[in-house]
Amino acid sequence: MKSLIVEGVSKRYWVPKAQKSVTAESRFDRIRNFFSVPLARELLGAQEVWALKEMSFDVEHGTVLGVVGGNGAGKSTLLKVIAKVIAPTVGRVRGKGRVVSLLELGAGFDDEATARENIFMNAAINGIPRTVVLERMNDIIDFAEIQEFVDTPLQYFSSGMYLRLAFSVAINMQPSILLADEILAVGDMSFQERCLQRVRELARDTGLTVLFVSHDMEAVSRICDRVIWVKDGTLHRAGEPEDVVTEYQNATWELLTSSEKPEDKGSSHAGRYGEILDVKLLSADGRVIGSPPRSEDVYVRIRFRTYRARTRARCAFDLFSKGVLVFRSAQPELVRVGADMAYEAVAKIPANLLSETTYTISVGVTLIRGEDEVHALVVNKALAFMVYRETREEVSGTLHRTGLIDPQLEWNLEVKQHAARG
Amino acid sequence: MPPVADVGAGAAGEWWEIEPRQHGAWERARELWRYRYLWWYFASDTMTSQFRRSKLGWVWLLLRVAGPVGLNAAVFGGMLGVESGGPPYFLFFLCGTTTWVLFERSLLFVTRSLERNRKLVTKVYFPRLILPMSAIAPGLLYLGILVLVMIATVIYYFRQEGVWYVTLRPELLAAVAAIGLSLLFTVAVGLWTSVLQARYRDIRYGLRYVMPFWMYFTPIIYPATAIPEKWRWLVALNPMAPIVELFKWGTLGQGHLTIPSMVTALVLIAITMISGIWFFNREEAASIDKL
Repeated sequence: MKSLIVEGVSKRYWVPKAQKSVTAESRFDRIRNFFSVPLARELLGAQEVWALKEMSFDVEHGTVLGVVGGNGAGKSTLLKVIAKVIAPTVGRVRGKGRVVSLLELGAGFDDEATARENIFMNAAINGIPRTVVLERMNDIIDFAEIQEFVDTPLQYFSSGMYLRLAFSVAINMQPSILLADEILAVGDMSFQERCLQRVRELARDTGLTVLFVSHDMEAVSRICDRVIWVKDGTLHRAGEPEDVVTEYQNATWELLTSSEKPEDKGSSHAGRYGEILDVKLLSADGRVIGSPPRSEDVYVRIRFRTYRARTRARCAFDLFSKGVLVFRSAQPELVRVGADMAYEAVAKIPANLLSETTYTISVGVTLIRGEDEVHALVVNKALAFMVYRETREEVSGTLHRTGLIDPQLEWNLEVKQHAARG
Repeated sequence: MPPVADVGAGAAGEWWEIEPRQHGAWERARELWRYRYLWWYFASDTMTSQFRRSKLGWVWLLLRVAGPVGLNAAVFGGMLGVESGGPPYFLFFLCGTTTWVLFERSLLFVTRSLERNRKLVTKVYFPRLILPMSAIAPGLLYLGILVLVMIATVIYYFRQEGVWYVTLRPELLAAVAAIGLSLLFTVAVGLWTSVLQARYRDIRYGLRYVMPFWMYFTPIIYPATAIPEKWRWLVALNPMAPIVELFKWGTLGQGHLTIPSMVTALVLIAITMISGIWFFNREEAASIDKL
């Protein structure tokens, strides 16, 4: 049974013609623009931008549909059309039952009103009367875990509390279709987990259909039944989560690694004494790879060349994930290098150490001439990659969370003593 | 969890459809009713938000209503000696200005209703028509205050001069009708201006600019009889003129009411209203893209 049918939906926006340069606009330009002939720019016309192009798909009753895609691909526009917030330019959307949307944190909430008032208001926006809300009040408050703060204005809420309230209100409105746009990115892990589980439960038990937009591929592949990949306003791929997510990730990382030239901010990959040629990720058999499997060793290869003789070199790299330095690793000692030679340093990252998440690597090569002439070559974000897990079976449900690393530790459980009962 | 009864938007199991243009006037009217809980919310929000975080709060309301009325009455009645043609000038001015203030104040709120709620409008769906319609609430508040001032003034003149200038008689219903008409006219004009304001913020400044001129073309500070005969047709094109006169006639029993001017006003209001609803429904979606 279908619960949502999107038929050939396109959305056109008229945007003002691009200025010559946004950043170059000085204060003087702004004043001049202000005093320019009124309406002139308006009449010079706008250009059309198609945010969605002929989008068609349908969703079965009780499905959690993941929506992935880059920024500006049209994911949010799609959800807004389904939520009826914006009208499609062409096409038609048909659906069954109440649509509740969590399009943005804080939409439909008033900061200066208390949590309780906001619950009523949000219900009103969803067309639900006070009496029904009163019945649901306790469920909403309990799930959001805000018992002590029911009568506190929302401006004093932490973003986590805000999110919990918003989510709790939404799922208690008895939606048939829930639209969640990147909403779970804010909450803490345990709440995220509860939300995802609740979404799954509702999908299974009440036939709730969920459209779940997220950049968290781990969450997408865990809770979604199907995934669609939106690219440039079109439906690029649709299918099983595993397939679409893997394909999406490969495409994304290729793009990321190829577009980021070594001359990133703060980098100085070339200097007087040498230069870093490239940084690659290799598999055990020496192939250059984009995203390594967790269960295999992976090698970081740094190639550099030197210009001067009587130099000593040491390579190092920093591994970052989620903005945190996971570790720094450096060659244990300085190595003597010659003039005009190319070198290759390889560091092995053992299997089953990295977590199933995204990492970036920044590389540094220190060149020391004589006693005190120190020169550093640096490439920030030389590599970006995602570690993936080949088998999902070994992951046991909610016990699995992605930390910065995920080493395989030795566990041991043994009987120490017979505990007397009673 | 007990199931939500068959109420609210898109109640359980009902198929709905989204198309580039919404159609079905009946559908939309039903929707307005389904979302009735929102009316009060927006009405109270528009009323309270204007004085939010101010220390004097509702006192500002009194000051903002009583101040200009007192000042205008003093200047025109006292200093310039404009003739009221009967009752004390202050009462005459008060009766003339009531429907006008209701119209002027409400129209500004209605015009800004979409813009003020843009954060909500661009993120959540509800029938947008609720916004301009519930934005007349602050105007009603001003009306309430003016009526209180009016009652106090009538009692004052009774004790001073022993005359009840306003008495409880059937004609008072005409005053109520005048209030209703001025609200209708506000919403009718507001349907146009609110959508336009969402696109061009000039509308609000334009309105603020036009309003004083409009006021002088309405017999508020002077009786309608003071208008030269050859210019009366111009005033007849202004629906606010008969409305103001109707209110004065209902309260003070004095006013220059002609059937043609009244009919013209009603027709004009109806035309504005119907075209306003058409325009609002047609352009609302496109305007929200630009909010």
